[in-house]
Amino acid sequence: MSGPNRPIDTSDSATPASPPRERDAHRTAARKPVARNVARVGLSLAVAFGVLAAGAGYWQVIRSTDLSSSADDPAVIAAARNAPRGRILDRNGSVLASNKKDKNGEPYRTYRDVSMTPVLGYASLIYGEAGLERAYDAQLTGLKRADPVADAFSKFQSTKYDPQDMRLTISLPLQKAALKALGSDRGAVVMIDPRTGEVLALASNPTFDASALANPATATTTWTTLNANKAQPLLPRATLGTYVPGSIMKIVTAIAGLSSGALTADTTFAQQPGAEKSGLLISGFRVTDAHNTFTGTKLLSLVDATEVSDNIWFALAGLKTGGAAFDAAARRLGFGAPLAFDLPTAASQLTNGGGRLPGGFLDDVELANAAYGQAETLVTPLQMALVAATVANGGVLMKPHLVQSFTGTGGTTVVNPEQLGTVCSSGQAAVVSQAMEKAVEGRIGKFFTTGAAIPGVDTAGKTGTAQLGGAGEPHSWFIGFAPVASPQIAIAVVVENGGHGSARAAPIAGQLMKLYLDTLGK
Amino acid sequence: MNARPMALPRIAFTGVRPRARNRESVLLALIAVALVVGSVSLGATERVLGGHPAGLAPADPRALAAYLVVLLAVHVAMILSGRRTDQILLPAVGMLGGIGLLLMERLPQDLVQQSVAGRTFGLGQVQLAWLMIALAVIGVLALLVRSDSWLRLYKYTWAAAGIGLLLLTIVFGVDVNGARLTLHIGPVSGQPSELLKVILVIFLAGYLSENRALLVEQDTRIGPIRIPPLPYLAPMVAMWAVALGIVVIERDLGAALLFFAVFLLLLYAATGRMSAVAIGLVLFVVGGFVLYQTVGHVRTRVDIWLDPFADSSGAGYQVVQALHAFARGGIVGTGLGGGLPLIAGRPPIPELHTDFPLAALGEELGLAGILAILGLYLVVIERGLRIAAAAADDFRALLAAGLSLVVGVQAFIIAAGNLKLIPLTGITLPFISYGGSSLITNAMVVGLLLAISDRGVEPPAPRRMRRFSPRRLAGRFGGARP
Repeated sequence: MSGPNRPIDTSDSATPASPPRERDAHRTAARKPVARNVARVGLSLAVAFGVLAAGAGYWQVIRSTDLSSSADDPAVIAAARNAPRGRILDRNGSVLASNKKDKNGEPYRTYRDVSMTPVLGYASLIYGEAGLERAYDAQLTGLKRADPVADAFSKFQSTKYDPQDMRLTISLPLQKAALKALGSDRGAVVMIDPRTGEVLALASNPTFDASALANPATATTTWTTLNANKAQPLLPRATLGTYVPGSIMKIVTAIAGLSSGALTADTTFAQQPGAEKSGLLISGFRVTDAHNTFTGTKLLSLVDATEVSDNIWFALAGLKTGGAAFDAAARRLGFGAPLAFDLPTAASQLTNGGGRLPGGFLDDVELANAAYGQAETLVTPLQMALVAATVANGGVLMKPHLVQSFTGTGGTTVVNPEQLGTVCSSGQAAVVSQAMEKAVEGRIGKFFTTGAAIPGVDTAGKTGTAQLGGAGEPHSWFIGFAPVASPQIAIAVVVENGGHGSARAAPIAGQLMKLYLDTLGK
Repeated sequence: MNARPMALPRIAFTGVRPRARNRESVLLALIAVALVVGSVSLGATERVLGGHPAGLAPADPRALAAYLVVLLAVHVAMILSGRRTDQILLPAVGMLGGIGLLLMERLPQDLVQQSVAGRTFGLGQVQLAWLMIALAVIGVLALLVRSDSWLRLYKYTWAAAGIGLLLLTIVFGVDVNGARLTLHIGPVSGQPSELLKVILVIFLAGYLSENRALLVEQDTRIGPIRIPPLPYLAPMVAMWAVALGIVVIERDLGAALLFFAVFLLLLYAATGRMSAVAIGLVLFVVGGFVLYQTVGHVRTRVDIWLDPFADSSGAGYQVVQALHAFARGGIVGTGLGGGLPLIAGRPPIPELHTDFPLAALGEELGLAGILAILGLYLVVIERGLRIAAAAADDFRALLAAGLSLVVGVQAFIIAAGNLKLIPLTGITLPFISYGGSSLITNAMVVGLLLAISDRGVEPPAPRRMRRFSPRRLAGRFGGARP
C-alpha cells in the first residue's frame, strides 16, 4: 500500500527510494498524486458543461423564433384566447381580416372576402388556425413585439399583448378577379412579381367563408359541412395541390439542358423529323405528338420546339441532359422539398424516385416522359409560377412572400425581398424567354395559346395539357410573364379537367396579366 | 489572504479564536443583492398579473429574509468556529438554492401541499423549510466533522447500509410516476437513492484508496493490451450489475446513469488508467443496448429523445414543452414571473418543479441565466475538485472528488436531459429542484466537502504549529494508518 500522498508537499513522491521495478512508464502512476487525475476529470466535466451551454444556445437562439412563435406554443395559444388579433390588410390597405366580439366579450375573427381564404386561412377558438393566421400567430396576437427592447420589458406592462397589423403583398381586386375567372371550375391562380417575389394573387377554387368558421356560433356546423364536401374547399390548391404539369414542364427541361450545357439555343436532333410521323421509340415505348401537320419534316431548334410544344424534341433533350442535371436544375427551382414560403407547401417532384438512373428515374422511358411533363411528375401551381418568374427575372429566383410589413405600437417591420439563388445565367434565361415569347406570339405558337397574348404587350408563356390517363378531360395549364422586355408579372394558372391549355388556362392568364398591367403595373 | 489575516479576539470560555472569512462575506453580500433584485422583479410582475398598478415590491419578503438570515447564521458560525474551510462553496450553493426558492415561490403554490399540525403549506413554503434545514446540515457537518475515521474505517458497513436501503426501497417502496423510488417510514417519506449516492462515494473512496497501488501497478495482459488486474475489476462489474438492477427493478434510469458515471470517473481519478474507463464504457454500451432491447420504459425514453416532436401531444409532450420553454426564453428571458403560460391553471411542463426547473429558468432568465447557473455548478465542481487535489491523503482526495462528482454529474445528466442532449431521466437538479431528500443529501455533500477542505485549501499551517503537535494535526483526520 502506498503511503499517504501529499500533493502540496512533494518531498514524499520525489524520494530517491523508489522501487527499482519501475521499468514501465505507467507504473510510476502509483507514485503520481491523485491530484493530476482529478484535474483531468475536472477538465472533462468543464467540457461537458460547455456542451450544455452549446445545447442551451441552440434551443434559445437558433431555434428560439420558430418554436416560440409556432401555433403549438402554449404562450401563443394563451394569447389567441385573450387578445384581439391584429388586422390583415391587402397591398393597398383594404382591410381583409378584423375582429368582432361575441356575447361573452371574447373577440373572434371576421373576413372580408372568400377569395382570400386560401391565403389567410382562419383563426378559430375551436379549430385552431390555418394559413397566414397560423404562420404569423405570434405577431397577430401581439405576443411578439416589433420593438425588441419593449419585448424584453413586456412583463412589467399591464397590456401584455401588442397585436400587430399585417400588410400583405396580395392585391384584393386581382385576387377577386382570379377567383371570378376560374368560375365554377376547380383550379388555382398564382401571380408573382418576378423582380421581388411579391405574391400578388394566390387564388384557389372552390373556397369557403372563413368568417363562418371563426364565428363561435356557426363554427361547428361549418366545419362539418366543409369536411364532408367532396370538392375539398379546405385544400388551398395553389400551395398544397399537386398536379401533373404536362407541357409547361418543358420550360424546366429547357432550363436544365441549357444550364448544364447539354443544350444550346441551336441544338437539333437528327432523328426528330423522321420520328414526327410514326413516333419516337425509346426502349419499346413510343413518344408521339401530332405536330407534323405544322412542322412537316423540319429540323427543330429549342425555340421552334417550344413554339409547337414538340414532345419528341423534349424527350430527346431530356435524355441528352440526363437525370442528374435535370434533377439538379429542378431542385434549384425549388423541386424536391416544400418551398421556402409563408404558407405550408407541397413538394413538387420529377419522379417518385428510387430508380437506378441518376435523379431517381426508373429508366430512359420515365426520364423522356418526365421531360415533357408526364410520367410521375407532380407540381404545385406556386412552384410553376416560380419557374416562370425565374425565367422572367434573368435566371435569378426570388423568395416568394406574402407579407410586406408588420405594424405595432413599436413601429413597422418591413419584409425585404430576398434572393433564393441563381438557377441559370441571364443569357440562358433569355433563350427560354425567347422560346416562351414565340409560344405566345409566334406564327404557329399562337394557335396553341389562344387568349394568352395581351394586346399591345409582348407576352411570353407556355401552355400545358396534362393527360391524366383514363377518361376525363386533361388539366389545363398556363405559365407565363409580361412584358417580355422588362417583366413585371409572372403567372401560373391551372384549371382541373379544363381541357387543352388554350381552352381555359391561357385566356384566364392573359386577362389577369392585362388587369395587373392596367391597374398596378408601372 | 494570509494564514492569519486578522487577530480576532479569542472566545473566552471555549478557547477558539474566530477567523474572519472576508471572501465569503463579500460573496454572500453579492448574492443577497442578486436575490433581492430577483425577488423585486418577481414581485413587480406578480402585481401586474394580479391586476394591480405597476410598482416595485419583493415577492415574498419574509421567505427571502428567512433564507438569507439562515445563510448569514451559517456564515457567522463558521467565522466563530475559526476553521479554515473553503469560502466559495457556501455562497455558490446559497445562490443556487436562492434561485430555486424564487422559482418555487413563483410557480402555482398548490403543486405541492403539505399539512403539518393542521396547517397547510404550499410549494414555496415547503421548499423554504427544506432549504433552511439543508443550510443547517451544511453548517453542522462543516463545523463538527473533525475526523474522517468514522467514514474510512467502516466502508463495508456503509456499503451494506447502502444495499440495505436499496433493498428496502425495492420491497417497501411506493411507485410514483412509474418509478419505485419513494420510501415511507411512518410520517416521513424520502428517496433513499439520493442518500445512496453519498454512501456509494464513501465506499468507493475507501475501496479505491486502499487498493490503488495494486490497481495501478498490476496488469492483466490480453495480447498487447494491458488492463487492470482482473480480480480488482470485480467491483466494477458488480457496480455495473447494481446499476442495471436499479434500472430494471426501480425503473430509475437517472440514478443508474449517475452511479455508473461517478464510479468510472472516480476509478480514473484513483488509477489514471484509461483502459479501465474504456472497459467501463464498453460495459455501458452493452448494458444500454440490452436494456433498450428488453426493457420497455428504457426504449420509450430513448425513442422520445430521438424524436420528441413525433408525438408532441403524447409521449413527447413533456420534452417538447421544455424545449418550447427554452425557446420562449431566448437570450435574456421573459423575466421572473413573466413566462410559463398556464394551461388549465398548471405550468405547461408536467413535473416542472422536480424534473424541469432548468427549462423554467431558461424561459424566465434566458440563455444568460442558464449560462450563469451552469457557471455556478462549475464553480461548485471546481472548488470540490480543488479540495480533492489538495487533500492530505488518497482517501480524502477520492472522497472529495467523488462528492463533487455526485453534484456535478447529476447536474449534467438532468440539464442534458432537459436540453434533449441525452434521454430524459427523472433526477433532480441539485440545490434548485423541489424536494427534501435531494436538498438534504446535496447539503451533506457540501458539508462534508467543507469539512475536508479545512487545512486543504489554506496554505500549510505555520511551522510553529507543526512542531508544536504533529500528532494532534494528524489525529484530527483519523491519524496514522496501519
